[in-house]
Amino acid sequence: MKTLKVILHYSSNSLQQTLSNLPVLFIFLFSKIVRYGMFIAFLYLLFNGVSSVRGYSREQMLMFYLVFNIIDTIGQLMFREVYRFRPLVVSGGFDAVLTKPFSPIIRSLFGGPDFIDLGLLVIIVSVAVYIARTFIHPTPVQTLLFLAMIINSLLITTAFHILVLGVGIITFSVDHLVMIYRDLTALMRIPVDMFTDPMRSLLTFVIPMGIMFTFPAKVLLGILNWQLILISFLFGVVSLFLSLKFWNYSLRQYQSASS
Amino acid sequence: MKKYLTVFGISFQNEFVYRLNFILWRFRNVLRTLMTFFLWNSVFSSNSNVFGYSKEQMLAYVFLVLIVSSFVMAAPSNDNVGGEISDGTLNNFLIKPIGYLRYWLTRDWASKLLNMLFAVFEFTLLWLIFRPQIFLSHSPIQLSLGIILIIISSLIFFIITKLAISTAFWVPENTWGLMFTILVFMEILAGSIFPLDLLPKSIITLLQFTPFPYMIYYPIAILVGRIDAQLAVRIIFQSLALLAVSYWVAMKVWKKGLKNYAAVGI
Repeated sequence: MKTLKVILHYSSNSLQQTLSNLPVLFIFLFSKIVRYGMFIAFLYLLFNGVSSVRGYSREQMLMFYLVFNIIDTIGQLMFREVYRFRPLVVSGGFDAVLTKPFSPIIRSLFGGPDFIDLGLLVIIVSVAVYIARTFIHPTPVQTLLFLAMIINSLLITTAFHILVLGVGIITFSVDHLVMIYRDLTALMRIPVDMFTDPMRSLLTFVIPMGIMFTFPAKVLLGILNWQLILISFLFGVVSLFLSLKFWNYSLRQYQSASS
Repeated sequence: MKKYLTVFGISFQNEFVYRLNFILWRFRNVLRTLMTFFLWNSVFSSNSNVFGYSKEQMLAYVFLVLIVSSFVMAAPSNDNVGGEISDGTLNNFLIKPIGYLRYWLTRDWASKLLNMLFAVFEFTLLWLIFRPQIFLSHSPIQLSLGIILIIISSLIFFIITKLAISTAFWVPENTWGLMFTILVFMEILAGSIFPLDLLPKSIITLLQFTPFPYMIYYPIAILVGRIDAQLAVRIIFQSLALLAVSYWVAMKVWKKGLKNYAAVGI
């Protein structure tokens, strides 16, 4: 309860900060809407020339893209503070985080959510719901499983960000790891099936981008078998467990050298 | 001129100091190309001809994007100029006998050279893995025109992005906003995901009045011979006009910005 209260406090501070600079908020919001809008326009254009891509229809491809954006945007919204972690470690400011009676990992993950992405999330979810209702018609079971898969994807996203924090403590650098993660996720704007092996297997089971972004959409479309659904959940739990182990290990390596 | 050559030399060496940074940056560029490559590869798995492009032509286009964008869009100035204005570091340059924008243009060109070298290496590596057939025009005139346009486009890119960053003179706490918007438009409208002649004709006609298609699409279309020499010359003149106009506007804005500049970050 205390943790939730503090997270809400962080969120409130961050929201006030975002609202204090409205022109910046609108510029970024506008740019991101344009970015998504143009990719969707490209998919529409593409399907004017072809009837399907690897067996997927226009609406299915659109669903993959929207689900990718939902998960990606929630990740960016929640874990923005990870992008600011390096200066905290380099300056020794992380000492202050460690001495407070509050979990340093929660502080480092949820210390500054980015509310610019919230408006965007509302738009993407609305479009996704419209497309799903109009063209996909998922069953209630598919919808529930889809929501569970989204939560599972967020577990893997959390695990990855914890890994980044741990690496940050050990190497004093997180920027590139985060950016490579962002570029790897950007590959998933299209379903993982579009990649040929060994790239496809690598992106599914080694760097679990396929599990995170493609599998939830496939569940919604009713084309993912139960074995892969189970593997996905297993992956989510194990990755979070291992990342927490790594975080504890990295904390023991922290030397507070800059303070 | 000599001092800029020195800046070029030092900047080139400087890129080797942060080797890991550079390699990871290049790795990220390859990742971006892979998405486009596999998307089009999938599209052509069940279609032999899409929008008048064969699979070979389209994959060649995707591969050439890697090379052209490495040259045109490699610009460390974009990550630094805004910060130097907002934190007052610009002062260091204003009191030195060196043109600030020319200094950064030189540094950008050093970075472009290194990026190009790596892009050629990555291109070869990807070619060895995927073996796409690369079409290039056989006409030396056509190839020369393509290269000339790439050089002009890189100058337009430099000026347009500095124009966007110059908002930092008035809003020092926001050095990235307008720049982000331009890069978002460039993502699709420059032609890095698909060749722009897939778009309806009216949109391409409209786009030629913007800098976007000159960055990637036109240079590649000329290099692969999709645009003939006569049209290529016209496009080069258009790009020169665009360069002149954007240069004029940028200089006006930059001068006004310098008048407004108060080194508040110091």
